[in-house]
Amino acid sequence: MRKAIIWILFAIVLIVLPLIFDSILSISIFNQMCIAIVFALSYNMLLGQGGMLSFGHAVYFGLGGFMAVHALMKIEYEEMYFSVTFIPLIGGVFGLLAAAFIGSFSTHKAGTVFAMISLGVGELIAASSLILVSFFGGEAGVSGDRTYGPTFFGYDFAQDIQVYYFAAAWMFVATFFMYLFTRTPAGRMANAVRDNAERAEFIGYSARRVRFISFMMAGFFAGIAGGLFAMNYEILTEENLNAATSGRVLLMAYIGGLGFFIGPIVGAVVLTLINSLLSNYTDLWLLYLGIMFLLTVMFLPRGLTGFLMMHTVPWQLGKLRTLAIPYTLTAIPSAVFLLSILAMLEMGHSMDSDFSFFGVALNPASYGSWIGLIIISSAAFFALRLTLPRLRSAWAEANTLPAVVSETVTTEGQQ
Amino acid sequence: MMEVLIFATLNGLVTGLLLFMLASGLTLIFSMMGVLNFAHASFYMLGAYFAYSISLYTGFWPALIFAPILVGALGALVERYGLRRVHKSGHVAELVFTFGLAFLIEEAVQFFWGRATKSYRSPDILDFPLFTLFGQNFPAYKAFMIFISIGIFIGLYFVLTRTRIGIIIQAAITHPNTVANLGHNVPLIFMGAFGVGSGLAGLAGVIAGPVLTTFPGMATVLGSIVFVIVVIGGLGSLAGALVASLLIGLLQSYAIASNVGMPDLLNLLGVSFERDHPLNDIWRLTLPQIAPIMPFLLLVIVLIFRPSGLFGKRES
Amino acid sequence: MSLLQLEGVTKKFGQTEIIRDVNLTIKQGEKHAIIGPNGAGKSTLFHLISGRYPVSSGSIHFKNVPIHNRKPFEITRLGLARSFQVTNIFPLLSVFENIRCALLWSMGYKYSFWHLLDRQRALNEKTESVLEEIGLHDRRNFPAGELAYADQRALELGVAIACGAEMILLDEPVAGMSHSEARNAVALIRKITEGKTLIMVEHDMNIVFDVADRISVLVYGEIIASDVPEKIRGNPRVQEAYLGEAVEKPLIDSTGGGESA
Repeated sequence: MRKAIIWILFAIVLIVLPLIFDSILSISIFNQMCIAIVFALSYNMLLGQGGMLSFGHAVYFGLGGFMAVHALMKIEYEEMYFSVTFIPLIGGVFGLLAAAFIGSFSTHKAGTVFAMISLGVGELIAASSLILVSFFGGEAGVSGDRTYGPTFFGYDFAQDIQVYYFAAAWMFVATFFMYLFTRTPAGRMANAVRDNAERAEFIGYSARRVRFISFMMAGFFAGIAGGLFAMNYEILTEENLNAATSGRVLLMAYIGGLGFFIGPIVGAVVLTLINSLLSNYTDLWLLYLGIMFLLTVMFLPRGLTGFLMMHTVPWQLGKLRTLAIPYTLTAIPSAVFLLSILAMLEMGHSMDSDFSFFGVALNPASYGSWIGLIIISSAAFFALRLTLPRLRSAWAEANTLPAVVSETVTTEGQQ
Repeated sequence: MMEVLIFATLNGLVTGLLLFMLASGLTLIFSMMGVLNFAHASFYMLGAYFAYSISLYTGFWPALIFAPILVGALGALVERYGLRRVHKSGHVAELVFTFGLAFLIEEAVQFFWGRATKSYRSPDILDFPLFTLFGQNFPAYKAFMIFISIGIFIGLYFVLTRTRIGIIIQAAITHPNTVANLGHNVPLIFMGAFGVGSGLAGLAGVIAGPVLTTFPGMATVLGSIVFVIVVIGGLGSLAGALVASLLIGLLQSYAIASNVGMPDLLNLLGVSFERDHPLNDIWRLTLPQIAPIMPFLLLVIVLIFRPSGLFGKRES
Repeated sequence: MSLLQLEGVTKKFGQTEIIRDVNLTIKQGEKHAIIGPNGAGKSTLFHLISGRYPVSSGSIHFKNVPIHNRKPFEITRLGLARSFQVTNIFPLLSVFENIRCALLWSMGYKYSFWHLLDRQRALNEKTESVLEEIGLHDRRNFPAGELAYADQRALELGVAIACGAEMILLDEPVAGMSHSEARNAVALIRKITEGKTLIMVEHDMNIVFDVADRISVLVYGEIIASDVPEKIRGNPRVQEAYLGEAVEKPLIDSTGGGESA
């Protein structure tokens, strides 16, 4: 019952969101998020649920997208009579077929071998896409128009808002089915094979077959995401197949949190925001993304969702409030350290002598600015180190069950 | 025809040995620590860039010595403070970490050196043709590359098989716990191995930079090929890495040098297709066109017929 | 009826022979123990039967079907299940999920992605009853990796028997347990293997003589004796293998309360 409420709330949020944030930019960002969410969730079917690290998942996204654009073109030239509302399905089917073919030889092993095969296959297909010009359109890619064909309840997809509700609906349905998959025998066995492939064989399951099924499912949903992309941007290029796109979806899933179903959703939302907003403020956003990713891998291996979930025990024990002060004490020097490093990086990047960072004027050429920032950042770093023991003990305390003196303890000891 | 063959072979040898320099370091690190270092090619790139910057002040030869040392030190630091922390989260986390590192290094290089290609040039002293055959020059610098590569391998082989530390390393590759129980400082050995492996990659960058151009994308270009080599050769096998490196280096070289393609094959068979035939792109393919994707094609073919690679051992 | 037949089974790793020309017949319903000094190859024998390793030569037949060199999942589907000496469960899944997964194939679900697990009544009821049997019902939502050692061994057992196999291979099921824990485990084993065929590798002689109908002794990869417990007790070759020499007096008190050799 609780689960049904969550889904209903989710649907309500999706419906209401563009009414609150109704600028063109917002709608465009929401569309990107929908696409990213489906893509990232499909990726987590492989990595988080199946234990298969893939560096070439963009292939299914891209192939699905390219097929979708070709379908759009066929509809436009009236060679096919089909409502564009179902274009993502075409993308999904093509992604599924590609995954069936590639999975037939790449799912025998998981682990490093699988990762390397996925990398090689991804590069092969991305490179081939520049050679096979008739399907992939070469460097310019392939473009289409979504406003043709039979309308869907009055939708002709000329306006962005229509595209949003279309994308949101597909995203909702896809998310729902991907969620259901985790609760089926195939989905559960994927978890089992991830945990212990050998033992899975000894309870009657071919680990390879289980992986193959997950692989095809992931390809299907990635293809749907590709179809959504085709509808939103009306153009697909080699970039949508390449290693950079594969890397981006890995980032989304990992930063969001692999071990939770909603992890990739969180990661997709956060990364889309960073992608669209941060890039407007600084040239160095990719560098910051890289640093952020590396720090997440080192310090938050369970992702942002994992970090939030870590707080469930203190919350259940009612001790969440005890963490407020230690967090603040650690947050202040951390923020100062972070900002001073950012200032140095931005200053080093910019060539202007009247460069300013959040209103503070800094001169890249003068030693004064540099020395000042170095001093501030070092001081902040040491202050940060000083607050850590207190945070650690507060954390341990917040996770300790209240002491219960039990009579059974003493009687057991006497047996 | 003969001249094309000779030069293609020589160029293929240069590329193949360079690839082996990278693949051998990667294989060693993988055998020892179980982690496939995604950032290995990034260290190669750093080697080229460090050498470029150093050579601006001191010329080529000091750069040849100091750049690899710098890269090696950086690698050791990465192992000590980054990889070791992630190690307890499993192999997947390690792979993802090195992937993130590769990403970060590429961005950092662009931050410090900009995006333009650097004019990192080979030393003047080697800037002469070693020999001229049928009107084509073979630069002395390329011969220098071959000699350095072979010299490094001989040195490496000697260290691994004839010195005490080499034997310890060989043991640590398969039985790290036993080696630790014998009193050796295995974490230190790992850090050293990672450092040396990275330094080797850096050295490859120092000597390849002038020839293969020094630009921020040089890691990605070579990186995937090196992984392909390691998988084709069989994960953990140095012999396999050597064979695969030379194979790919030579095959690519021959492909680029030749002008043969599908049209010739079709002509031979007496078959021809319409201009707008849907598979026209394939019918017009030439070998030079598919040269960049040959390593990946080879990977897929090898993996279909021999999943553990050419010389593959059991996966660690 | 003989359920399992090993004929001339040999296993070499490189040049080293681990299992040499083993012949063994296990009848349906039999409780068979395999004993032997450490390093004799008992676990390897299990690996050969259950499909983890291929044989170097010889044959293994289960229900008259050749199973040597087949994949583990094929063998399990024929009705032969095993447990492991080193606990080999699904650490991130809950105890409940561990057992439920073990039941999936035998209840016909195969690779279905259209059945919702939580809605499958028969499946969930069977899972609950297995959990009751192995005594882990109150810990059903624990992640399996966080259980105490003895509980993990019980889960290990549960996963092995859940699929309803006719023949069960148990590899040192009570290894590392205290006396009382082992006693409980043996009672559990007897209960759940009633009517089934059992092959057990075990070191504790009390348990062996308590449970087994027949005993085979494996030394350096060869079976030197295979007989009823009383005959094994007095067998000079067996004594020699364990002690280095034959003794005149039987070392083990036949009333079952003595010390093991």
